[in-house]
Amino acid sequence: MGLRTTSKEMDQKSQAGPSGSNKSSVSLVSSLMRSWKITSNPSSQKSSNSNSNSYSNLSGNSSGDNRLNSGNFDAMSKQQTAAIKSSSSYSPLRYSTPVSGISVGESPRPLLYSNHRNGDHESSIKKDAYFKDLDEDWSAVIDDYNMPIPTIANGGISRSNSDNLTSTSLSKAYDPSLPLSRKVTNNSMKSSSSLGTNITQQGTAQSSHNLSYPQLPQLQKSVTSELKLQLEMENERELQKINSIMQRITKFDCIVSDKKIINQQELRQISWNGIPSIHRPKVWKLLIGYLPANTKRQESLARRKRQEYKDGIKHIFTEEHARDVPTWHQIEIDIPRTNPHIPLYQFKSVQNSLQRILYLWAIRHPASGYVQGINDIVTPFFQTFLTEYLPHSQIEDVEKLDPESYMTEEQIGDVEADTFWCLTKLLEQITDNYIHGQPGILKQVKNLSQLVKRIDVDLYNHFEAEHVEFIQFAFRWMNCLLLREFNMSAVIRMWDTYLAETSVETSSGSSTTFQSTGAAGTGSGESNPHTPLQPTNPTFQTPGSDYHSPSSHTNASSKNISSGENNRLRYSSLNEFHVFVCAAFLIKWSDKLMDMDFQEIITFLQNPPTAEWNENDIEMLLSEAYIWQSLYKDATSHWQ
Amino acid sequence: MLQFKLVLLGDSSVGKSSIVHRFVKDSFDEFRESTIGAAFLSQSIKLDEDDTVIKFEIWDTAGQERYKSLAPMYYRNANAALVVYDITASDSLSKAQSWVEELKNKVADDKLVICLVGNKLDLCQEDSGKRSVEISDAKQYADEQGLLFFEVSAKTGEKVNDVFKSIGESLYSYKKEELLSKSEQNGTNTHGQVDLQLQKPATSDPTSCCT
Ligand SMILES: Nc1nc2c(ncn2[C@@H]2O[C@H](COP(=O)(O)OP(=O)(O)OP(=O)(O)O)[C@@H](O)[C@H]2O)c(=O)[nH]1
Ligand SMILES: [Mg+2]
Repeated sequence: MGLRTTSKEMDQKSQAGPSGSNKSSVSLVSSLMRSWKITSNPSSQKSSNSNSNSYSNLSGNSSGDNRLNSGNFDAMSKQQTAAIKSSSSYSPLRYSTPVSGISVGESPRPLLYSNHRNGDHESSIKKDAYFKDLDEDWSAVIDDYNMPIPTIANGGISRSNSDNLTSTSLSKAYDPSLPLSRKVTNNSMKSSSSLGTNITQQGTAQSSHNLSYPQLPQLQKSVTSELKLQLEMENERELQKINSIMQRITKFDCIVSDKKIINQQELRQISWNGIPSIHRPKVWKLLIGYLPANTKRQESLARRKRQEYKDGIKHIFTEEHARDVPTWHQIEIDIPRTNPHIPLYQFKSVQNSLQRILYLWAIRHPASGYVQGINDIVTPFFQTFLTEYLPHSQIEDVEKLDPESYMTEEQIGDVEADTFWCLTKLLEQITDNYIHGQPGILKQVKNLSQLVKRIDVDLYNHFEAEHVEFIQFAFRWMNCLLLREFNMSAVIRMWDTYLAETSVETSSGSSTTFQSTGAAGTGSGESNPHTPLQPTNPTFQTPGSDYHSPSSHTNASSKNISSGENNRLRYSSLNEFHVFVCAAFLIKWSDKLMDMDFQEIITFLQNPPTAEWNENDIEMLLSEAYIWQSLYKDATSHWQ
Repeated sequence: MLQFKLVLLGDSSVGKSSIVHRFVKDSFDEFRESTIGAAFLSQSIKLDEDDTVIKFEIWDTAGQERYKSLAPMYYRNANAALVVYDITASDSLSKAQSWVEELKNKVADDKLVICLVGNKLDLCQEDSGKRSVEISDAKQYADEQGLLFFEVSAKTGEKVNDVFKSIGESLYSYKKEELLSKSEQNGTNTHGQVDLQLQKPATSDPTSCCT
């Protein structure tokens, strides 16, 4: 899985393997990218090095193989190579930062590179100290934003300081009460411990209504045996997962219920990385602007809106309202064809609810009316809002239970109303997608093709040679917001991020521009006090420091997402970001697609192997999209 | 092997996707997601006549009115069109007729094979009261317009293969004519050479390129 050569012919000729594809022009960045790939290769797990061990999760967790992910990084490295070589004005290369931080003089980079080319990973790479640094560098890049609470997770285990470095910065990032220090110090073991405790206690105190938090086991103190160490690492990872989940829940508890005016910006930032299921219904309503940030006004507003919806429904079933028969009929046809594989959507009551919602929306929006695909888009809302009425332990069962079995008619009406208004809000942002001629979609498809042309010109050329047109596969991606390509739980996770992307206008505040964040990688200067994630930047600056991170796959994605997201809020809209997600999704399969002909390409893209995708995969995708968006911000200037 | 492009047109939920799935995968789902944009599938059949293998590259389009503007992209280069209606919904026949009109106006190729297909035959076999398009009416229309015509059921599979076979035969005979007339013009080709040429996909068809 070497870098693809620039021409298809070469690619075909050099079937022998990754060797031969690159000459001296390989940039630092590409070797960095490569090293990441190598460490994420399952083969590296064999190494007894505890450092590489921390990656086993990363590769093991992803149901897609690394090859699939690697395409993106190949392309990214390619792009960066070009960018570094060609342009000094084009500076915000976030991921070149760690590289430039490495002193080139002592660099065994050529060795690293040849290792890769020989595909001889296991034998030599792990011995290479430089490699380790690189690994860690990437682990830092892909670390979680809400990494372990050290007190609990590794109180007794000897770990390098830098672990705590990460934890500390992140713990801090998650405690709003603490002044943010963007300079992270190395001697932070102590402070990180106290921080961790602090947060945990906070969590217990503030969310006493969620008493079901698991008890945290205490780990035994330092063990020297490798095996035990490994076991502990695993435990630790589990623990960290739990901790980070708890921490997130606490954080959301804080934001959502503790304030008079909910800090929308903060909510967006944290939601971008995923929302705990118990908070999701409320947070979605806030993010999309259905519920007001003013906590006091929420209840009355919801009551009013729900009534408004119910009156609307009443009206369409009265004599005065002349039924729009074609619309009603089309919806009626589509309802049983909506999520036909999820039991929830087979219940008559659910079908009736969706029919009402869609019909009311259609007649209230005559410019677009009902368009197939909207029936898909309504479902994540509906399903998520149902979970509000389920006990926490049963949230997972929402797809199996008939709402009539646990809700009153009144409550179902409320869920319908909430769904209706949130659907309305969402579609407001993408109205051009559904009006006559669907110009929004056509434009997005065009943007996608132009983006792919820049990011992965080989793939673009291959499509052209095979007469594959983007509209042939991407139309549906745009029309249904990729809903058809993923299973429901993956979609719902994706929507945490998408809804955090929605209302550009409501997020105010920070004057930090994208460029300055890009620069923060090297200068870490003007940190924004509103950015809890700012402290992550220093991790880019310390590539040489000896720390490793037991990051999981989830972690891997989240960190990418988190850095600099403050800026994205003001720059991007849902539509724009979606194009980047589509680009990331397409380029993910780049290596495979390059070997396919027209028919294989179309067939593959119509049925991408995503059935087993889980939240981690989605997070990886989103993080890749985020990186692309950061790198190609300039490409979007003419998108509006 | 001969390759041909085939496009399916017709109102939403008349069963276009179901027909294609019956033909390609020999399966039927009671509830299948609506088609967004268009879906691509392919399937080969063998004609009784000299064992010729015909490969269909099929674009199954979305039926909703809103997607209508996408259709030309798919029928533009088509060799055959399958225009589907639902025999239990008379509206869908008029929709099918408007598709036939459009094809005749917009597709330059006068060799375009159009097949009118009434679907959901099984429903009328169960309960004849459900029929709302008389077979004689549809047949008469098809004859007037020079279309192939079938009533089928994607659910039971009845006559579905016949549709594709008959389209394949029409396409094959056109192809033979075309090549023969070409060879007559050139005056040099023998019959054997014609056959040889038949093995090659149409060069005007970009996706049939074997490289
Ligand atoms: N009884 C019966 N039902 C059928 C038959 N063919 C299709 N259906 C049903 O008709 C509905 C629509 O079928 P599709 O194949 O999805 O229709 P379509 O024409 O592709 O619809 P669009 O994709 O919206 O354009 C499905 O619920 C099928 O179960 C048939 O032969 N008999
Ligand atoms: Mg269909």
